[in-house]
Amino acid sequence: MPIISDRVEVERKPKLGGGGPGKIPHRRGFGGGDDGDHGNSGDFRSREQRMRRYRVGMTLCIISVTAVFVLLTMVYVFRMGKGRFDEDAHRWVRDWIPLTLPYVQLWTNSLILLLSSLTLELARRSMAKKEEFAAMGIVPPRLGRDLPWLGITVFLGFCFLVGQVLVWNILRSQGAFLASNPSRSLFYILTGTHAVHLVGGLVVLLYAVAGRLLAIKFESQRIAVEVTGWYWHYLAFLWFGIFALVHFARG
Amino acid sequence: MSRVLRLALLLIVVGCIYLFVAHPYWFPAGVSASSAPIDHQFRIAFWVFGALFIVGHLVLIFVLSKKPPEDGKISTGSWRLEVTWTLAVTIIFFWFNISGERLWSRIMPSARQAGEIEIEVTGAQFQWYFRYPGADRVFGRIDASKFAKPDEGNPLGIDPSDPSGHDDILSTAMIVPVGHSVHLHLRAQDVIHSLFIPAMRFKQDTVPGMEIHSHFTPTQTGNYEIACAELCGMGHYRMRAMVRVLSEDDFQRWIKAQEAAAAGH
Amino acid sequence: MTISTPSAATSSNRSFLRCHVFSTDHKVIGRAYFFLSLAAVLVGAWLSLLMRIHLVWPKATLLLLGEIKPENYLAQLTMHGTLMVFFVLSTVPQSGFGTFFLPLQLGASNMAFPRLTAAGFWTALLSFCVLMAAFFVPGGPSGAGWTQYPPLSALASAGPGQALGTDLWLASIGLFCLSSLMSAVGFVATTIHHRAPGMAWLRMPLTCWSWFVTSLLILLAFGILLAAVVLLMLDRHAGTSFFIPGGLLVSGKAIAHSGGSPLMWQHLFWFFGHPEVYIAILPAMGVTSHLLSVFARKPVFGYKAMVGATLAIGALGFMVWGHHMFVSGMNPYAGFAFSTLTTAIAVPSAIKTFNWVATLYGGRIRYVTPLLFSAGFVSLFITGGLTGPILAQPALDTYLHDTYFVVAHFHLIMAMAGVFAIFSATYFWFPKMFGRMMNETSGRWHFWITLFGAYATFMPMHLLGIAGHPRRYSELSGVQYVTAMAPLQKFITVAVIVTLAGQVIFLVNLFWSMFKGRKAEANPWECTTLEWTLKSPAPAEGFGDQRPQVNHGPYEYNISGAEKDFVMQDAPAS
Repeated sequence: MPIISDRVEVERKPKLGGGGPGKIPHRRGFGGGDDGDHGNSGDFRSREQRMRRYRVGMTLCIISVTAVFVLLTMVYVFRMGKGRFDEDAHRWVRDWIPLTLPYVQLWTNSLILLLSSLTLELARRSMAKKEEFAAMGIVPPRLGRDLPWLGITVFLGFCFLVGQVLVWNILRSQGAFLASNPSRSLFYILTGTHAVHLVGGLVVLLYAVAGRLLAIKFESQRIAVEVTGWYWHYLAFLWFGIFALVHFARG
Repeated sequence: MSRVLRLALLLIVVGCIYLFVAHPYWFPAGVSASSAPIDHQFRIAFWVFGALFIVGHLVLIFVLSKKPPEDGKISTGSWRLEVTWTLAVTIIFFWFNISGERLWSRIMPSARQAGEIEIEVTGAQFQWYFRYPGADRVFGRIDASKFAKPDEGNPLGIDPSDPSGHDDILSTAMIVPVGHSVHLHLRAQDVIHSLFIPAMRFKQDTVPGMEIHSHFTPTQTGNYEIACAELCGMGHYRMRAMVRVLSEDDFQRWIKAQEAAAAGH
Repeated sequence: MTISTPSAATSSNRSFLRCHVFSTDHKVIGRAYFFLSLAAVLVGAWLSLLMRIHLVWPKATLLLLGEIKPENYLAQLTMHGTLMVFFVLSTVPQSGFGTFFLPLQLGASNMAFPRLTAAGFWTALLSFCVLMAAFFVPGGPSGAGWTQYPPLSALASAGPGQALGTDLWLASIGLFCLSSLMSAVGFVATTIHHRAPGMAWLRMPLTCWSWFVTSLLILLAFGILLAAVVLLMLDRHAGTSFFIPGGLLVSGKAIAHSGGSPLMWQHLFWFFGHPEVYIAILPAMGVTSHLLSVFARKPVFGYKAMVGATLAIGALGFMVWGHHMFVSGMNPYAGFAFSTLTTAIAVPSAIKTFNWVATLYGGRIRYVTPLLFSAGFVSLFITGGLTGPILAQPALDTYLHDTYFVVAHFHLIMAMAGVFAIFSATYFWFPKMFGRMMNETSGRWHFWITLFGAYATFMPMHLLGIAGHPRRYSELSGVQYVTAMAPLQKFITVAVIVTLAGQVIFLVNLFWSMFKGRKAEANPWECTTLEWTLKSPAPAEGFGDQRPQVNHGPYEYNISGAEKDFVMQDAPAS
């Protein structure tokens, strides 16, 4: 039941109030539609909208994953530095046994990952070009050196994972198991968590590769490759961070 | 409805005031050197925050009674007001915080002092053990996983091969002399426990894998209860012990008797 | 002017399964979360009743349950805390009402990632089932409290329920972390990207701001909990020693682990745990701000300050975790830093309280049930909040830590205030969710019983804490000075019984109104935000083809020149 109240004055330029009639802050903002950061007038399903949406989502995922790896790094550093309390000595003693890292295998894996980043980037650009042509209604021309970059990336991703398993096998053959010493535990945790996240990215890439067979819209494939590209480059960057940590802070 | 709500809030305020004023239960008498400053800080806390509680509710009751303005002018905000009350709250809260920090720096666990009574406290499921170093003033080595035999009088697992352990005195009550600083070496055998002596205003978690140092100074003789204040399993509720604060002479007598008994073994 | 959008498939040409079970409609998902939380709160409240009865009448035998054994008490305590903190307070205000109303209030057609949001719900449901399964395994649920401190939580031999019961708890919480993260990604993306044209950041209702900031907290905090849970699982089953030190003797058996730190768990857990309580309370604060404005028929006082305070609380929430650990054995010097930062976070909370009160000042207040519960929220927030700065002092917390004083503090501010906001949101949004009004008279009875019940239950607990009564005691008979406090404990139990009985009124009202309540019109409360431009209940297609064009702020009540005392956000610009 609407109440007809007395006409009351409200400050026309609300200083602390939110927004107001006709008052749209004209700042170029982050996100939102095509006219600044005050809302989105575009089509929910348009290509640009979907791409933007997935990019925002991926950025958020990356933020969350970063929080986890920052935490694990801090656990690593503290555990290494603090040691454990020795009741007999009545003080903290460092009990960190440095790992003998299999550098050859680790560098090989790093190179494979870097390469896969490169091939994924090439795949991403190729798909972007194809989409531009498709949007114009032109059948994309066959470019001379057009290798199946996406497939190669997936293959390299698998190679990296296999390489990681090899690293773990080498460590196990040295007698360095998960529970042997905190240095081992944390190495396995860091590399294992990284590998799990990589598998996630690989699954999405497989979806994009299979897209051709499963008749998934090209646009969806392209979006998948685009955002997974960011994720993949991030994981490569993260990998080098982990590698640097376990090398420079090996104890 | 407005009147009823205001009345209800007023009733609640009055009820809460009554509860704290009548306080059927309150702090036990403080019998340690730090209990007076702590209790003083508590008094300030309850007065200040009690006052804020009352004022906050009275303001709430008041605004519920305030009629809309005659001229119809309503405000959507005022930076002056925001700054004012932010500043006011900041000053009150931080003044209180700083006074508390100063108190903390006075009473927080710190370095050893001379002439302290050394007691090692071990929390185990669900029993407190108190160990005195004996005449040699050195605690014997402990390895519970190897040597602990609760049924044979060695629940802590004192290493029998360590000579400094032979004269250690084990007790299930904490016996201390009045007026002396007691230095506690706090440890735990299995899970986290917490030594809580309300009368001394003392609480410190005992953490397995750590040796935590703390101290208190009892200022009055008597028997005071210890409770465990960290969930440690099924018997957490009955993990109690007693602090027996004796006069200087009584304590010396007790210690000498214990040392003699230990030497006899 | 409205913008056209291709509409989603209407409900008529989809199967039942597609409509109600595997739906990606955010409204269906929001409702599903609501009912999940309802189930959780019923179990959690029931557990608290069992606990309270056992505490003061240990020999009492209950119908069908018999006598409550001491080990069951700790399991009930753990499950009560877990259910309430995770499945009620972190679910219904955020995932429940948020999933339903964020898109509507922003003028979006759906959440940014509908399938992800749906997956979030199904993961939460699975998490709930895994947790409930702990009641049925040998040893029962974990008895280590919702905080699960190792070594108690890491060693199966440390107590009944520490074996499979704890594994199920850890698995459940791990799944819950994933669920929350999925949901949060959707919330943030929707807020950034799917606001309707004209919906500037500073035109968003404060509920949307609180859901947004809460989601950011979730993104940063829940990953930490997931990592901690995984590390604890490894300690339990893979022989690692992150949290288990050496030389332990448990139940007569030596434990083989060595080198871990129980304090590490506490740091990890509370680094998550403190933002968690802000995750629980920020949406409640947003709802309160919103409802006080609606029912005082006045704009929110100091909208920008409220936004700033929300952001400040979110940011500072990550810096104060050590105040749970003053007596833990942590470096006592760290106490200074955490104490100061904790005091700092009290300031934006106070700012919010002032702004709520100022919003009410001079308003034409409509005393309906949602307003009553919002006013109750303010009262409980003041009461519960003011004991915070007391506990923030290490010198005072040394005495009060792990006593009933802390129990009183967090129940008043989190459980009672948070729950009052959930109630007010339920009464308020019921018409939009279910198309009918809840009964007003029952609502008032419910309010009065709950308000007095809340105070009667939790105010006396302060005295118990002051007298030194520790927490998590399954019996009062173990320590003499605790036994002496039995009379007050009895009073509290009676208060709990009365309060919980009063909740039956709410439940009956809720379910009866769903089917027989007075049919609601589109905007029964005369609220300005966009969800009220739709029919009641909100139609399956939401805004459909007609995306709103936002021309006004969210709290334009009593504006001069307007016919009515409120202006809808999508009314034409004047």
